[in-house]
Amino acid sequence: MFALTVRGVVARKTRGFLTALAVFFGVAMIAGTLMLTDSVNNSFDDIFSESNSAVDVSIKTRETIEDSRGALPPAFDAAVLESVRAVDGVAEAAGSIFDPTVSVLDEQGQRVGLTGPPHFAVGAVPDRFSPFNYIEGRPPETADEMAIDNFTAERESWTVGDTARVAGTGTAKTYVISGVARWGSGVELLGASLAILTLPEAQRLTGKQEKFDEVVVAAEEGVAPEELKLAVQRAIPTSLEALTGEENAAEESQEFKGGFGIISNSLLAFGLIALFVGGFIIFNTFSITVAQRTREFGMLRTLGAHRRQILGTVLLEAAIVGLVASALGILGGIGFVAGIIALFQSFGLDIPSSGLVISPRTVSIALLVGVLVTIAASLAPARRATRVTPLEALREPGGSHRPSRRRTTVAVVLLVLAVLAIAWGMFGTDSVGSAFIFLGPGILLLFLGVALLSGRLVGPLSGLIGWPLERLGGVPGQLARENTQRNKSRTATTAAALMIGLALVVFVATFASALNKSATEALDRQFSSDLILSNSDQFTRIPTQTAEAVRGIEGVAFVSPVAHGNARVQGVSGTQAVSGLNPESVVSAFNLDWREGSDATLAELGDTGAIIEADWGKDNSVAVGDVILLTTPTGRDASYTVRGSVRDKPGLLLSTFAVSRDSLLRNFGVDGDSYTLVGFIESANPDEVEARIDDELAAAFPTVESRSRAELEADNRQQLNQILVLIYALLALSILIAIFGVVNTLILTIHERTREIGMLRAIGTSKRQVRRMIRYESVITAMIGAIIGAGVGLALAIVSVQALSSEGLVLSIPYPLIVTLLLLAAVAGVAAAIAPARRASKTNIIEALLYE
Amino acid sequence: MTDHQPQDESPTATGPVISCSDLRRRFGEGGAAVDALAGVSLEFPKGELTAIVGPSGSGKSTLLHILAGLDRPTDGSVWIDGIEITALDDRELTDLRRDKLGFVFQFFNLVPVLTAEENLVLPVKIAGRRPDPVRVDGLLETVGMTDRRTHRPSELSGGQQQRVSIARALVTRPAVVFADEPTGNLDSKSGADVLGLLRQAVDEFEQTVVMVTHDPRIASYADRVIVLVDGVVTHDGRVQSADEVHALMQIE
Ligand SMILES: Nc1ncnc2c1ncn2[C@@H]1O[C@H](COP(=O)(O)OP(=O)(O)O)[C@@H](O)[C@H]1O
Ligand SMILES: [Mg+2]
Repeated sequence: MFALTVRGVVARKTRGFLTALAVFFGVAMIAGTLMLTDSVNNSFDDIFSESNSAVDVSIKTRETIEDSRGALPPAFDAAVLESVRAVDGVAEAAGSIFDPTVSVLDEQGQRVGLTGPPHFAVGAVPDRFSPFNYIEGRPPETADEMAIDNFTAERESWTVGDTARVAGTGTAKTYVISGVARWGSGVELLGASLAILTLPEAQRLTGKQEKFDEVVVAAEEGVAPEELKLAVQRAIPTSLEALTGEENAAEESQEFKGGFGIISNSLLAFGLIALFVGGFIIFNTFSITVAQRTREFGMLRTLGAHRRQILGTVLLEAAIVGLVASALGILGGIGFVAGIIALFQSFGLDIPSSGLVISPRTVSIALLVGVLVTIAASLAPARRATRVTPLEALREPGGSHRPSRRRTTVAVVLLVLAVLAIAWGMFGTDSVGSAFIFLGPGILLLFLGVALLSGRLVGPLSGLIGWPLERLGGVPGQLARENTQRNKSRTATTAAALMIGLALVVFVATFASALNKSATEALDRQFSSDLILSNSDQFTRIPTQTAEAVRGIEGVAFVSPVAHGNARVQGVSGTQAVSGLNPESVVSAFNLDWREGSDATLAELGDTGAIIEADWGKDNSVAVGDVILLTTPTGRDASYTVRGSVRDKPGLLLSTFAVSRDSLLRNFGVDGDSYTLVGFIESANPDEVEARIDDELAAAFPTVESRSRAELEADNRQQLNQILVLIYALLALSILIAIFGVVNTLILTIHERTREIGMLRAIGTSKRQVRRMIRYESVITAMIGAIIGAGVGLALAIVSVQALSSEGLVLSIPYPLIVTLLLLAAVAGVAAAIAPARRASKTNIIEALLYE
Repeated sequence: MTDHQPQDESPTATGPVISCSDLRRRFGEGGAAVDALAGVSLEFPKGELTAIVGPSGSGKSTLLHILAGLDRPTDGSVWIDGIEITALDDRELTDLRRDKLGFVFQFFNLVPVLTAEENLVLPVKIAGRRPDPVRVDGLLETVGMTDRRTHRPSELSGGQQQRVSIARALVTRPAVVFADEPTGNLDSKSGADVLGLLRQAVDEFEQTVVMVTHDPRIASYADRVIVLVDGVVTHDGRVQSADEVHALMQIE
């Protein structure tokens, strides 16, 4: 039986190949993602263990609350260095700066790499601690010199002697490049730029005079780092933490790995979608081949093969196909890695990969997943094969296939479960994590249910799509329509694979369009300012002095800076992002939707007053008059009394609660604003005022950029579009698999109908007509998938938007996109039919009629 | 075939290999019901070539299927080698087919992806045993397929395919070989070859063969001819010539 199975796989090469393709892509995505993750993690481990190689103990501020804006914990007093030097066993200690809030600017004054990865200002440390290897030149020696990392130098074609400008919290400055340096083993840190300055200059530029981000310590000979760490910890305040060099390397590496973890998890999710779609193709291919081999199975049963043996041979075939496809998929994963790196690079994000790592874990996971999916998908067809009776070997194959009642029952049960899971995920649970645990499987069940049920939709839909084709194509059109209805479950499953990809695209597009619309509407409704000032990386804070500087410019009516800081709030789980508002100016910049209190409430905010977002208050049982107790990232405890509540669904100004900006800056260790709103005097010429502001920014605050409301909206849209492009590119693989599925089904059914096609040719059907028939069949199948997919995607999007309407989401259906997708599906149908149609038209009439 | 079947060890060597009593088979229900078999009782002794003849639709295939345990009668029972097969479940019937019966059909006898030789040894392989190379060579020799052993069915003529089927039916030394229209799809020369092989199996190795045919000339080579008309046996005995068979079939 084993030999029989192997022979079968070899003999049915084309279908084996097309089936394997279905698994291949999914496995390639998963294997590739695992390889990429391993390589990236390895690179980070290498980089940080190398940069910490001379560090025995490192001292940093103890991180109590994570900062949402990527800022490191606040810097600490430089006096600590003296206490550390006094500790027994310390050979040498040095303070350093490592600050991600600066911007390295190119000749045009533009931020290098635009909105991309962070730029760091690094304070030079004594040679023994330095993580840098100088390729060219030397470290900076004066306050007018800087060294730059080799990747940025290469991108900008900078060499020793050139000048570059760096902006930070302190006044921006132009430096002469004294050297080009490589960090550790020389792998890119997700495309970050590093500007190395003398320590005092780094402190000045980052506004950290008399402060350090880190103190690094080398132990005297014979002193173990572990011991020294304990000794150092006793000598420094508890707000600081001492770690050994190794621990520090692991922690730093972990931070970067965490950042990449989000990317790799999303990639894995897309891989699973592709495998799920592939499962449909496998199910369909095996269903068709089992049906075509009915006589063979009947004959084997006649010869005394047991049901178990029949089951075994089909499942073994699946396992072989799955194994070969997965093995190739692992190779394909290498290609996927290259593709992903290129894709991210086009968005300005460099993924470090010092060398491809293909770990045994990757190989075993990829093989296991690929083989399991293939076997699982072929289980139902294999069971059907065991039900073939010996007598069926002797009968003519054929007969009509109507979707069975049992199939419909299963479909309804799956759909009910799906709706329950999705409803629970959307409405029943608060935590994002558990919502996904229900939503993911819920959506998979939904797809399965719809796929099973869609057999019932094939009749009406193929009638609908086939009507114009019949008008257009005459008899071939009519035959095509009839052919798709001949075995409705087969057509339905083929279409379902395409349905999944399209449903996801339509869902994502509709959801994104809702996000866009609601963001734009909220901006229009709530912003009453003319300009918004923010960091040109759209992420990092801007210097607080910016507001003061702009306020003095002619034509400016008001300036309202907004800062954010994180806090842990008593009685509320998770870190909360707290807004800091300027009570005098915020009413001019923003239309506040007061629930309790009024604009006058802001005047009495003082140092201890707060206003809450109405929904946040409701969810967390915080009401006007209550006292909010919180701990800030500096470790300080503070209390605020709630004075009023406003509604701000999209959280433009406040998503939790707001206090006065002065109080926030003081208590939260925040040293910058998130953005600053600017309004013009009515009589002033807006263009002129904006030009004056831009001049001032370019001169004094090069990291800050001004944008009008329209520009802000356009930027938001563009940012969203970038993510959409990425999602579409990854979903495209699933759609590609589905199109191969259409090809596969066509080839299999043409093989099955050889005699019939021969007969059609014999009675005078031209080759062109045969080709047209197959083409229309393909188009009808693809369109059925697209229509059902668009329907499911829209339904999912509508429900999701409804579920999030309390967050301010407004439905907006992207009709042009949906119509385009349907047309593309028709084109894909034509493309899928090219090879099968050619094959069908080449049917030899005589042979076909003598067939068997 | 180089060796002899050990007949003396068979416990039922003296009685019939197959017998059936009052077999009835009804297809469909109510007004549309068809009685394909309307009470058939027969015994098949060892080492005979029996031909079942009759007009199309007279129930020949139905009878053969039921005798071979491929289909179940509406009423009546079948014994093979002393076992009442009509009382067996699917698993036991499968084992019985595998170990005691051989089959030759009109079409689709061979697995298209396997070579002639691989098809031949398939029943042995299914049973999880090793084929005996001497026996395989002998059978290939007997059916004249030695130089075609590595060919696929699609590379063989209909007659050659059918000869492989006969060798395959014999490979497990079954108690009975059932053949349904084994020559139905062949030209007269190939048909005669195939018939010759079946005849040889009966004469040389005392193989029991039950064969369905609608061709009087083929039937006239049998030791015994059973004529079936509308599910009832109308003649059972020895015949001398094709003309006689023809006449027996015309009576009704
Ligand atoms: N599976 C079936 N369902 C319904 N009727 C059947 C079936 N098999 C055979 N018959 C009917 O039983 C009768 C005998 O058929 P069969 O044994 O095939 O005849 P023969 O082999 O002599 O031509 C015919 O009338 C045929 O239509
Ligand atoms: Mg018949």
